[in-house]
Amino acid sequence: MPPLAGWTLWITGFVGKAPALDHVMRLLTNDFFIPLTICLIMLSLWLGQADRIRRDRLQRTIMNASVAIGISALVVKMINNFWNPWPRPFLVDDFVIRESARYAAQTIFYFPTDPSFPSNGATIAFAAATGVWLGNRKAGAVLYVLATLWAVARFYAGIHFFVDVAGGAVVGILTALFISKVFMPRIEPLPTWTMKLCRFLYLA
Amino acid sequence: MALDYFILVFISSLGVYQIASVHAKLDGLCFFRQPVVQYIFGILAIIGAFGWFFTSEERNIHTTVEGSQQLGLFLGSIVASYVFTNILASIMQAKVSSGGSTPREGKQYDMGTETLKKTTLFGGIVSSLKKERKDRV
Repeated sequence: MPPLAGWTLWITGFVGKAPALDHVMRLLTNDFFIPLTICLIMLSLWLGQADRIRRDRLQRTIMNASVAIGISALVVKMINNFWNPWPRPFLVDDFVIRESARYAAQTIFYFPTDPSFPSNGATIAFAAATGVWLGNRKAGAVLYVLATLWAVARFYAGIHFFVDVAGGAVVGILTALFISKVFMPRIEPLPTWTMKLCRFLYLA
Repeated sequence: MALDYFILVFISSLGVYQIASVHAKLDGLCFFRQPVVQYIFGILAIIGAFGWFFTSEERNIHTTVEGSQQLGLFLGSIVASYVFTNILASIMQAKVSSGGSTPREGKQYDMGTETLKKTTLFGGIVSSLKKERKDRV
């Protein structure tokens, strides 16, 4: 059992008590809703600047954030290959936590089969938010809110422990910082060539 | 599910392109002359696509659309939507001229989306080709 496992019992205790909240959480925890919203915000940032210098700068930010999303997903895969510390909350030995999480997952989401730690969704959402935040504070703040909502919803749905989503957020943030501040500047001129190619294809 | 997701991304990104083109003043991507109409179209496309996707079927199920497939579908769909937007905008806009916007030499910014401020995508391509031919002669 991970640390703070008791928090799962507390949060899943709310499931079934307020149908309206459950409805909202069903939408927020969905595999497509928040990821697609984040991607569409990134897409609007890619094109939505009138000034070409600012647009170019923002497009590089979006490129960095996109690379960070991909790399953070790979980092999660690597962690899962070498370390799978605990099962999903609805599969643990503790009867009370298991049954509470099982009910929550059944009501809000479904029973995922991949490893619990770290949360894949929290990792990529926080990687995207951090990547964007480095170039545009307002949009980054919006993405942080969306990422937090997604993480909380998955915790509420009993498919992750608190440590899973918090760990995912840390992995995502650190990966995005590394990609934006260290990796992308080091691999120049590759990003510049990519931007030129995008411009040649009228995509940027 | 994969096809539904493709359609969701296609239509909602169509809306995003319309809203973004108002902000960026990319006239070559616009379907309409009035920015308000474009905004309304964009918002309706996004809300309509999301509304249709999430109300037509139960979406919280263990699907076959995995993360990497989702990414591939997303990229394919936004590119398809971008191409579609450009084709439709080129057809719908007679107003935006394609003649007077020949790209200047040596300026990488005159390629790409910056061109769409003055002309449609196909107008830009045609004028680039004309210029290239002229340079050769």
